[in-house]
Amino acid sequence: MRLVEEFELGLDAPICITWELTYACNLACVHCLSSSGRRDPRELTTAEAKGVIEELERMQIFYVNIGGGEPTVRKDFWELLDHAAEHHVGVKFSTNGSRIDAAAAARLAASDYVDVQVSIDGATAAVNDAVRGPGSFDTAIGALERLAAAGFEKPKISVVVTRQNAGQLDDFKAIADRFGAQLRITRLRPSGRGADVWDELHPTPDQQRSLYMWLLEHGEEVLTGDSFFHLSAYGEALPGLNLCGAGRVVCLIDPVGDVYACPFAIHDEFLAGNVREPRGFEGVWRDSDLFTELRRPQSGGACASCGHYDACRGGCMAAKFFTGLPLDGPDPECALGHGEGLLAARGADRAIPAPAVDHSRVRPPARVCDENPLAEYLAAGAPVRSGAGA
Amino acid sequence: MSQPKPTPAPDAELEPTAEELVEQDLLVEDVSIDGMCGVY
Amino acid sequence: MSAEVELDGRWRLHPQVALRPERFGALAYHFGTRRLSFLKSRRLLEVVRTLDSAPDPIAACRAAGVGEEELPGYRRALATLADTGMIVPAEGEAAA
Repeated sequence: MRLVEEFELGLDAPICITWELTYACNLACVHCLSSSGRRDPRELTTAEAKGVIEELERMQIFYVNIGGGEPTVRKDFWELLDHAAEHHVGVKFSTNGSRIDAAAAARLAASDYVDVQVSIDGATAAVNDAVRGPGSFDTAIGALERLAAAGFEKPKISVVVTRQNAGQLDDFKAIADRFGAQLRITRLRPSGRGADVWDELHPTPDQQRSLYMWLLEHGEEVLTGDSFFHLSAYGEALPGLNLCGAGRVVCLIDPVGDVYACPFAIHDEFLAGNVREPRGFEGVWRDSDLFTELRRPQSGGACASCGHYDACRGGCMAAKFFTGLPLDGPDPECALGHGEGLLAARGADRAIPAPAVDHSRVRPPARVCDENPLAEYLAAGAPVRSGAGA
Repeated sequence: MSQPKPTPAPDAELEPTAEELVEQDLLVEDVSIDGMCGVY
Repeated sequence: MSAEVELDGRWRLHPQVALRPERFGALAYHFGTRRLSFLKSRRLLEVVRTLDSAPDPIAACRAAGVGEEELPGYRRALATLADTGMIVPAEGEAAA
């Protein structure tokens, strides 16, 4: 059996996971995958978080991608990093850079076990700040400067590719080179607040093709989080496993201990359980109904008859789910255009699932509608709202 | 594994031997720790 | 293809490498370099686990039951692991 086929059946433990430490964030990026902003009062305590780290050690999960919200706003952030190091769990954390002062940079430079990833979404303040808020570009660059000054080796710069920044890929590379950093570019998913802006922000088909060509050329030096495996349908596969790892080799632990198939799928549909259950994270990973289902061989549905299915695997289930497309059909950004066609055909009839969990400080109405814009914000459940097309 | 030579058939010589199949199958594969989708 | 490193003498797993057995073989992760390798056979896992108790890597292969016709594949695999720093020459042959 090919390695990829083994992985699709799931492993006894994830290879690596994402762990969102908090929903609190000082920024309000328009496309935030976790709809972060306000801290959730049910956040895992320091003791619970340490317990999770120890469980990850027992399961031999080598690497944890810590994010949020903004993970550094947790008072116990450094304590948790140290605990991870002591328990043989490697850490990369994502940050907007707002708490990477000189002291933090020095602390990070002195350790060899923590990787740092600074988020920017524009190679200029104008493009970046339109998505991440005024001053956020300068904050990120400041953090990179302080890390460099402290001698921290090879931070990562992580970019979400949008219609606005798709033409700046070489500029992003130049910024990374300037700081001795590794560039990481990732796919925009219509997840969290991303659902509100996806129609306007996701790359056009032409941009997507250019992106693919650029990645073919730069694939060796640029990371992607394997987030462009749907582009394999264009031709040669990009570096990476080229499969959806959700529930099979990766998953998300959220700030209140909920376990989701992946960080781009924060919705009851993809909720496997909670680490606070008696079976713990390991039990959820091994026995949850959702993960068991995801690990069954997938048929490919409507995509099975397409000659490219072997390469693209039908794309990203979160991208399909949050654009109101069926999971057994094409990705909304299908390289062959089958997704575009489906989106257009279904038009205003498409019911777009709202994120189950919304910690946004303010949730502006996405578009003109006759609904009370605070309706979702106040509602206990997760109402399905009809989404108009672009 | 030796076999009696069949009557000349040009394609037979192109068939990979058992040894060659084993050699082609790399026993170690490297993937970046960032190389799996579903990670922040 | 670069010249294969000489696999003479006793070798061992780098101390910063963790091995995690799997159905298909094992995962090997180097905490220092962040490299992740998939070992695609249980027998290769056994070879890597017993490396430092054999006089040289090929002996470790034979001891783990690797057949003569499979040896070239295993040698190549071990060379890859050596190239990526996952296995290293054992130190101090004279030490206890």
